[in-house]
Amino acid sequence: MTALHIFFADLFSFPSWGRGVWAVWLRNFLYFRHTLLISVFWVMFEPLLYLIAIGYGVGYFVGQIDGVPYSKFFFPALMATSGMFVAFFEGSYGGYTKLARQKTYDTILLAPIDPAEIILGEILWAASKGFFSVVAVALVGAVQGMIDTILIIPALLVLAILCWVFSAFGILMASYARNYDWFVYAQSGFIIPMSLFSGTYFPLNHLPQVIQQAAYLLPLTHAVMASRALLQDNVGSLLFLNVGVLFALGFLFSNWATARMSRRIYY
Amino acid sequence: MSIVIEARNLVKTYANKNVVDGIDLVINEGECFGILGPNGAGKTSTMRMMYCSSPVTSGELFVLGLNVKTNSRNIKMKIGVVPQEDGLDPDFSVLDNLLVYARYHNIPIKRARTQARELLRFMHLEEYDGRQVDTLSGGMRRRLTIARALLNDPQILFLDEPTTGLDPQARFWIWEAMADLKRRGKSLVLTTHYMEEAERICDRIILIDKGKILCEGRPADLINEYIGDEVVEFRLKQDEVDYYVKRIKEKFQYQIMNNRVRIFVKTAQEGRHALEQIESDNILVRKASLDDVFLRLAGYELRP
Repeated sequence: MTALHIFFADLFSFPSWGRGVWAVWLRNFLYFRHTLLISVFWVMFEPLLYLIAIGYGVGYFVGQIDGVPYSKFFFPALMATSGMFVAFFEGSYGGYTKLARQKTYDTILLAPIDPAEIILGEILWAASKGFFSVVAVALVGAVQGMIDTILIIPALLVLAILCWVFSAFGILMASYARNYDWFVYAQSGFIIPMSLFSGTYFPLNHLPQVIQQAAYLLPLTHAVMASRALLQDNVGSLLFLNVGVLFALGFLFSNWATARMSRRIYY
Repeated sequence: MSIVIEARNLVKTYANKNVVDGIDLVINEGECFGILGPNGAGKTSTMRMMYCSSPVTSGELFVLGLNVKTNSRNIKMKIGVVPQEDGLDPDFSVLDNLLVYARYHNIPIKRARTQARELLRFMHLEEYDGRQVDTLSGGMRRRLTIARALLNDPQILFLDEPTTGLDPQARFWIWEAMADLKRRGKSLVLTTHYMEEAERICDRIILIDKGKILCEGRPADLINEYIGDEVVEFRLKQDEVDYYVKRIKEKFQYQIMNNRVRIFVKTAQEGRHALEQIESDNILVRKASLDDVFLRLAGYELRP
């Protein structure tokens, strides 16, 4: 099989889901529970700083964008980037640590749990942790008066899908990693640029045409668009495109990451 | 006696190299079976296939009558594994390591708690239940790993170099625990490169090198067959070696490594006959051991 064959086989590998997925998820949750207070503090503290510095600070000079105060324009993007970062970090650093340093996957594999279940459990966990931070930011925003519509519920659902996309992407990166430096490349080469050019801090339509079109290839753009449209009660047919793109990416990344990572733990 | 593990022409290939190269073996119920060999001989690879953490490249492998290729989940429910790198979870305490692992086995939490407590007692770890695992000594970590492997009350226990890197007390303690488990009717499969350990605790062993079996049998029988009762070992000046070898080679089997000669003394022979032939100020008579069998069959060259 050529590399291309393997790539396509991986993309559509359809790993099967079983009881083990929950056992793996629970292992991570139990650890998270130990450190819950610290996690909650950081997960809420950092977005609060962003909201003050960017939302109110920069917002003071910007005033309004498309008829909404800048802080309200920025807030949905803040939820999305927070979820993205947390899910990606947990997937990549967390996944690689458990793979290479702590040998956690080797141990789980001794029990009646298949490799694919281990990876699906990890993806589910990293996504859950990302979503946890999204909810935390939403709570901060609610207190600050950023949320005034029931459409926050579907917006949170869209962001849950975003977390899934980036947790799977993080695990995928971990499956390629040979050391921790790997993630620095992925982070400064991809994740951070994405957090700048996905319509997060400013609307895309003021950028050159080429950059605008490129931005539509980024998953974060779609999550920001969808959650912004929902929170501003301004939903159009684009929402279907946004959700569709996120779903497709989550699905493909999950298959790909599971297939690749399975080969690194069961060999 | 029923068979718990059977391998037929078992092969494992990594990067076009057969690290396990056509192994046939049978392990019986209640037996303590040792897989011996130098580093890189294929011990761990062989065992990883048995405990279903590594796919079989070719050949057949049955564990408890189940095919590892199609039934790994059911096999894993009935076996326990103490891997070389213990894989304890540094994120959890001693007790939680057991409880989290019990979850992987789908053991109900209540039963898991009772069992974990009981195993910590058995392994003399009960007073450390709240400690983080990275504060434990090597011996304690290994005991905890054995406790973890016993959570699902396995029929077969796999131990990959269970005493490597442990001090004599810890090693002795692990041997005692293994003897105890054997008395309880568990089948034990272990790898080791300590021949002395194998002589002491294994009912039957295979010696492997470069992925192939060199010999198979009870340790005492193998020593008898390949070496004999005693070994007379001495060092000579390089130019004397030929002369002395000529004098002993009719009566005795021997092995030479540089200027060091080892003469194998069979049961019916008398070691002193060999001694009388030799003038060396560096001469040693000792009981034959598995080390001698191994060096005889595998040679002296250094392993990677």
